[in-house]
Amino acid sequence: MIRLLTLALAALLALPIAAEAQKPIKVGMPIPLSGPPALFGEPASKGAQMFVDELNAKGGVLGRKIELVIRDSKADANEAVRVARELILKENVDFLVGTLTSAEGPAVSVVAKENKIVFIAPIPKTDQLTAADKLHPYVFRVAATTTIEGRSAAEIVAKWPVTKVATIAFDYAYGQDVTKAFVEHIKKIKPSVEIVDQQWPKLGEQDYNPFINAQMAKKPEAIVSSIWGGFFVTYSKQAKALGAFDAIKYNFIGLGEAGSPETTKSMGADYPVGIWGNSYDAFYWDESSPLHRDYTARISKYLKEEYPSSWAIQGYIGMQFLAEAIKKAGSADTEKVAKALLGLTVDTPAGKLTIREKDHQANRGQLYGKTVKDPKYPFPIMKPVTYVDPTRFMD
Amino acid sequence: MHDLSFVFAQSLSGLTAAMFLFLIASGLSRFFAVLRVLNFAHGTFYMLGAYSAYQIVSWLGSGPVNFWVAALGAALAIALLGGIVERFLFQRLYGKEELYQLLFTYALVLILGDVAKLIWGTQQKSVSRPPGLTGAVSVLGATIPSYNLLIILLGPAIALGFWFVLQRTRVGRFIRAAALDRETLGALGVNVNALYTGVFVLASFLGGLGGALITPMRAIVPGMDTDVIVEAFVVVVIGGLGSFWGTFLGALIYGQVLSFGILLFPRFSIFSIFALMATVLIVRPWGLLGRPLK
Repeated sequence: MIRLLTLALAALLALPIAAEAQKPIKVGMPIPLSGPPALFGEPASKGAQMFVDELNAKGGVLGRKIELVIRDSKADANEAVRVARELILKENVDFLVGTLTSAEGPAVSVVAKENKIVFIAPIPKTDQLTAADKLHPYVFRVAATTTIEGRSAAEIVAKWPVTKVATIAFDYAYGQDVTKAFVEHIKKIKPSVEIVDQQWPKLGEQDYNPFINAQMAKKPEAIVSSIWGGFFVTYSKQAKALGAFDAIKYNFIGLGEAGSPETTKSMGADYPVGIWGNSYDAFYWDESSPLHRDYTARISKYLKEEYPSSWAIQGYIGMQFLAEAIKKAGSADTEKVAKALLGLTVDTPAGKLTIREKDHQANRGQLYGKTVKDPKYPFPIMKPVTYVDPTRFMD
Repeated sequence: MHDLSFVFAQSLSGLTAAMFLFLIASGLSRFFAVLRVLNFAHGTFYMLGAYSAYQIVSWLGSGPVNFWVAALGAALAIALLGGIVERFLFQRLYGKEELYQLLFTYALVLILGDVAKLIWGTQQKSVSRPPGLTGAVSVLGATIPSYNLLIILLGPAIALGFWFVLQRTRVGRFIRAAALDRETLGALGVNVNALYTGVFVLASFLGGLGGALITPMRAIVPGMDTDVIVEAFVVVVIGGLGSFWGTFLGALIYGQVLSFGILLFPRFSIFSIFALMATVLIVRPWGLLGRPLK
């Protein structure tokens, strides 16, 4: 009898603890779901959602489920800030994982600092997000940076038999920073390179003809572009018609994910096959780990796409770091999780990544390769596709 | 400085941009002249024209004339859509404050933009150049894509046809009269409502055609509607709201300023155009060839 009573009492006492354990950990995700950037925002949010669904099916983290609250940030810094505040104040989220553009990221970082909420940025590349004067204990990034991307391109272009190089980039933070990183790094590793021309169309420019004409008049041997996403489709259609790729013998590298399956797929036979491109992910990345192959199969099923988006992986990795940090901290407490993220290494589908203690930046590189036609697919792919590990040139 | 063939190539690329803008801006300008409302949804008709052309091309496959069938089909589909919107929705707003009509066109931008996203998703789409026009020709040492050359010729052809309709036909006279004084025109027994429908349809046709013809040169993405409406608006303001030749001149100037502006001020390409627009607004607020509003 007494034993029974004790048991009942113990069960009663345990109840609140069990209830606490049942309460989900809420994660807010401000990310563009409308306008052109939805192209990347939507799959990224789905990658995050897939991670959460899979984790919850296995019982969650520390016995608690994760609840992901996704909101449209409209790719606008003010809107992203408003949404982030609303997620914190109204939805009471415990963490933020999200933002896409280089304007949104730093803006939401300020909100995270004010509210002491851990914020993991999966996509914005601007160096300013984790620069020494902007860094605070709660901001982390698992995306590549403009420094990483620009220097990766320099490492590749340095091996080409060219010395006269031209650049074209949108005239705003991302375009300027990535171009600067490229120019500085290539002058260091191959001093014979001369930058013969630089074009700066406005963000979202639709007519590149005058820029391409002006650039080709300077007779470059190679071109480095960071015209990203759907804009690259417009740019390359016009450049191809003007014979620009032929004139530089396809010594062209398209940063800003010009080599992503989404871009090559949308252009099909019109793609300037033979140029170099980059991408966060590629479903055909054969030399990758079994972990990546398994991820690709899962995301393909989840998105119901035969050739899944390359952007989903960034949302996935962002959530993966958060979950691992909570596990390591043994708690969902902000301060503890923020500490746990420092130096944390996670086995992601893109390989082992570590968030550095000194700048809260993961050593996330990207896939690079020369585009070729492959009879296996109805669109060009990068082959061979190589992951450029930025660890040795991040500083 | 620069050699002559380069200057020539640069001016031709400006001309291509100009002819496109003219095609789109002329619909916007005519709409304003008659209905006295700035039609924000004009850019949306342009975007839907592009998506429709993409859709038709993907149904037909890549035959020699399929692109042109698609372009015409898309323009007609958008003209029909314009007609439906006018008949069943916009017509209810005549006689109400112009602000309501303006807000209505803005509502169309949002609604049709979302409809396009539901149908075609957020991934970018692309249409190939029509067969026979994939290459480039060399003119005076400058490389000109054949498709651009065609657009340069098509622009003035459409402009002249349009001008002919306005100046030489009965309908054209009514359209011009409606721009001057619609009350009197109605009092004289002309069916002004039918005329408005006609102008709505014509403007939608031009917008849709512009969108369809741009597809071999640009990506089709959500948001392409708002980009073009700003450019068309600048053209119309420079040339004079409601002025036919003003729109033509405005487009020509826009194209050349963009082309040569980047040579003079490489980092301020867009600045040159807005500086020009500001100057025009200060010196001649009604535009280069426009008439001051009463």
